[in-house]
Amino acid sequence: MSREQNSLVVCEQCGLAHRWRPLAPSSVARCARCEAILGRGHRLTLPTLLSLTITATVVFLIGLGSDVLSLDMRGVARAMTLPGAISAMWEEGHESVAVLTAITALVAPALFLGLRLYVLVPLAAGRVPRGFAACVRLLHQAGRWSMVEVFTIGALLSLVRLSSLADAAPGPGLLAFGAAMVLFAAIESAGLKHLWWQVR
Amino acid sequence: MSAAPVASPADAGLPPVLGCESCGLVSADALAGAEMEPAGRPPRIQKCSRCGHVLHARKPMSVQRTWACVLAAAVLYLPANVLPIMTTVSALQREEHTLIGGILELWADGSWGLSVIVFIASIAVPVLKIGVLGLLAWTTRHAPAWRRLERAKLYRLVETVGHWSMLDVYVVVLLGATIRFGPLASVQAGPGLLAFASVVVLTMLATYAFDPKLIWDDPAPVARHGALPANATETAHAGRSA
Repeated sequence: MSREQNSLVVCEQCGLAHRWRPLAPSSVARCARCEAILGRGHRLTLPTLLSLTITATVVFLIGLGSDVLSLDMRGVARAMTLPGAISAMWEEGHESVAVLTAITALVAPALFLGLRLYVLVPLAAGRVPRGFAACVRLLHQAGRWSMVEVFTIGALLSLVRLSSLADAAPGPGLLAFGAAMVLFAAIESAGLKHLWWQVR
Repeated sequence: MSAAPVASPADAGLPPVLGCESCGLVSADALAGAEMEPAGRPPRIQKCSRCGHVLHARKPMSVQRTWACVLAAAVLYLPANVLPIMTTVSALQREEHTLIGGILELWADGSWGLSVIVFIASIAVPVLKIGVLGLLAWTTRHAPAWRRLERAKLYRLVETVGHWSMLDVYVVVLLGATIRFGPLASVQAGPGLLAFASVVVLTMLATYAFDPKLIWDDPAPVARHGALPANATETAHAGRSA
């Protein structure tokens, strides 16, 4: 590979090659043809990214383990976690909806965090983990299908609907999902391709 | 904040290059201009020298796969709207709710803001996705030079908002899981929900199947000269994407 190609960047959206120059902080490089973002001057550093990922993992685990909503209907109380909701859907015979919910709200976000941890911890220590390339590829897919933010808004919406029927209250899980939603967005903004810059 | 022109288009004299979708490394397109392999032989593929990801000039069979998913989504869109997505049972009555019915109920209850959010997520976004992806797939073949920048921006819009239509699926799952008081009060998912969830997944698959680089392709010049067989355009496409 020539030096020339090293300083090139290809627009993901339209395939146009651009000559790359280091970006000033807070500047954004856009494709000259299709105006898609080529890169940002501001990047999260590896330690920042790692600490955000650890925080998000803790928050996400709290969200999974605690009640998202609780309901009191004529003295009968009911609380519900995300895994509980998925298994309830499965028991009622809506297996495909249960699987879809499990993939988008549970498995993809778990991979999104777990694979990042698996990759970032060794990178921070200066080593390249086994199967790094495959992990990055899988992370691209996990990011596409992870819908924590949609689930959070969906839970809020359900809360509003339930409150017209009975005494409904948000649980700690809803708060955790709200925090996870923000952290996921921050982690995602760092992108994935830059992980390869650490490997050279 | 203004977009500083920090990256400039590379010279036209450069050999064709490919960017790796996974790691971003730019490699020379080794298969550019290569003849298509004779039928029966496996197609030649180029892999990224850094991460081993397969490099494509264009996603293979992009337009065909996009059409397949868009048409399937359009067909399922009908049952998704006609069949009930949720059934509520109370001591007095049993009610079936469709997608639009739920939005109208919210509106009638006075939650206008919420009903607008649900309308955007459940009705506007799926229709937008089916319409835009159909338009993109059609114009790629039939009007390649038409409003390229606007089409590229439409694609990015669909890519960004696509997964928000899962909202109603989650609401029904959460309501169904919470309200389980037997015959006194319960909420069950209806057959429309499965159709609607399929529409969401299929439109997302269609979005990822479509290659936005096709928007910027010029019709193959060989086709205009007419000196080659009628399937020359197809051959050129297949050769590049193999």
